[in-house]
Amino acid sequence: MAMIRNRTRHGLVALSLVLPFVAIFALVFAYPLFEVVRMSFTDAPLIGGGEWVGLDNYKRLFADKLFYRSLQNNGYFVLLTVVPTTVIALTIALAVNRLSGRMQALALVLFFTPYVLPVSVVTQIWAWMLDFQFGVLQPVIEFVTGKPVPVFKNPFWVMPSVAVVTIWWTNGFNVLLFLAGLRNIPTELYEAAQLDGATRAQLFRRVTWPLLWPVTALVLTLQLILQLKIFDQIYLLSEGGPFNSSYVLLLMVYREAFQLNNGGYAAAISLVLFLLIVVISVLQFQILRIGGKRK
Amino acid sequence: MSGVKLTNVKKMFGAHAVIKDVSLEVPKGEFGVFVGPSGCGKSTLLRMIAGLEETSGGRIEIGGRDVTEVEPAKRGVAMVFQSYALYPHLTVAENMGFSLRLSRAPRAEREEKVREAARILQLTDHLDKKPSDLSGGQRQRVAIGRAIVRQPDVFLFDEPLSNLDAELRVQMRLELTRLHRQIGATMIYVTHDQVEAMTLADDIFVLKGGHVMQAGRPLGLYDDPDNRFVAGFIGSPAMNFVDAVVTASDATGITARAEEGELHAALGGPKPAVGARVVLGIRPEHLSPVEAGGLPVTVEVAEELGGSSFVHSRSASGADIVFERRGSRDSLEGHRIRLGAPADKVFAFLPEGGRLR
Repeated sequence: MAMIRNRTRHGLVALSLVLPFVAIFALVFAYPLFEVVRMSFTDAPLIGGGEWVGLDNYKRLFADKLFYRSLQNNGYFVLLTVVPTTVIALTIALAVNRLSGRMQALALVLFFTPYVLPVSVVTQIWAWMLDFQFGVLQPVIEFVTGKPVPVFKNPFWVMPSVAVVTIWWTNGFNVLLFLAGLRNIPTELYEAAQLDGATRAQLFRRVTWPLLWPVTALVLTLQLILQLKIFDQIYLLSEGGPFNSSYVLLLMVYREAFQLNNGGYAAAISLVLFLLIVVISVLQFQILRIGGKRK
Repeated sequence: MSGVKLTNVKKMFGAHAVIKDVSLEVPKGEFGVFVGPSGCGKSTLLRMIAGLEETSGGRIEIGGRDVTEVEPAKRGVAMVFQSYALYPHLTVAENMGFSLRLSRAPRAEREEKVREAARILQLTDHLDKKPSDLSGGQRQRVAIGRAIVRQPDVFLFDEPLSNLDAELRVQMRLELTRLHRQIGATMIYVTHDQVEAMTLADDIFVLKGGHVMQAGRPLGLYDDPDNRFVAGFIGSPAMNFVDAVVTASDATGITARAEEGELHAALGGPKPAVGARVVLGIRPEHLSPVEAGGLPVTVEVAEELGGSSFVHSRSASGADIVFERRGSRDSLEGHRIRLGAPADKVFAFLPEGGRLR
């Protein structure tokens, strides 16, 4: 009897401990999510009710040329950032890891500093540096291309430029993750491999890379999710232009919801983006895990 | 197969000398053990032989070849680490064949050598497992297997058994001895455990503060220590030491007053003057109750081992004096007795630690 009573009490205590979290989660995540799903089947404005329109919003979306353009740009941006930022972060982490003591701390601070800045400051810094007339980086561009380029107003240059800004801004965090991963690899493994006659390239390929793989997979997945949600930098640097060449899905959501007051349609777009991110990141993580196991 | 010879080897970390002028030789095919308390430099010395630490001065030779400046992989040594240093992402077979994989040896040769090493170490059933699926003792054997596969001239072991439980340690000790007989390679083994050193070694090198305090056969060190440190370090339970003052001296040795008692120590060489301070050392098995003379002590507790017991007693000055007792099992607890030892079993040391012979 006592045992059963204890178990009931046990359950109640457990419930009271998780209840605050469940309540907050329901209020700020589950309920809005449910509302977004419901809204996407209505013609509701941003605030206030609307008529049930069935799949109309989705039909409209899949016929919208701007949706496909944005989808394409999102994909292009992911290509431009995810793998490059991972490679760069790994390279920097390997280099920083070779430094000792104070030099290492200093280098880490330097690489991490941009991450601390708010996005508007970051975009302002780069807008200045890449300014068509006065930007300090224009001579570099001129040296490569032969003439100065207004990068955020040029359809060819705009996405790569936003990608560079994004990588510069967020790379420090990835460096930190890689560095933590590198520090977790015991020194003896390198010493043993050294005694076994491993060259520097073999040390990386046979020891560092496979043992760092879980971190690499994590960084790739986090980056994929983050970069699919690209919005701030584009909104602040190019506003989707020129000629929609940097238009992305979240920009579309923003315009439909907050500028055109089409709550229902915006809900449909965000739901599609949400599903896209879930499917792609789960898929990617599974593929990376299998890849890790085969090694 | 080759021996290892160190000549005036030094190692500095900044201004701090960790190894101070060490010269020693482990002849080819022998099992040499570096033993000493932590911080004595034994692991550093081993890592210098492996080439994992640079040598600040002196010469290291393996098989007569000067390898002081040679990179680790080209020294013909294999090392077994305390942490085993197995690659967690590789199977047992891949771990053992790692060096051959690096040198791009043919697959057939690699598999053959791995199989042979696995047979010697009884790992054949585990070749496809990952290190995380193995017990501590098995992991240790894989680490040894990885060394065997390379067929090195010299095996280096850095406290390989210290992560194992006591029972397994005894078992692995026997396996190492067997392995040494079987493959006959030169082995150098680092440990802080003098029992391991005694049981495994052909030659023991006792280190302290970056110096070799004494080198020799295990029983040689036990029976004839050069100084108080070695006398106290080798042997378990440790040798008893008592401060004493010389009261008489003749051709055969000295008589010294210690702990309100008296002991004779046989000395062949120059004797200390009457009134000089000395330290006398007597091993537990050489002390026994006597009717007269010797050291007066009060018996406290006995550690019963069945066949014999180690009895702890307290001397006049409060020092712990241990003696071994065989045959008799009646308790001596609380008794005041006198402990004596044959003169040739009483070692005399200078207060600075050197031995008087």
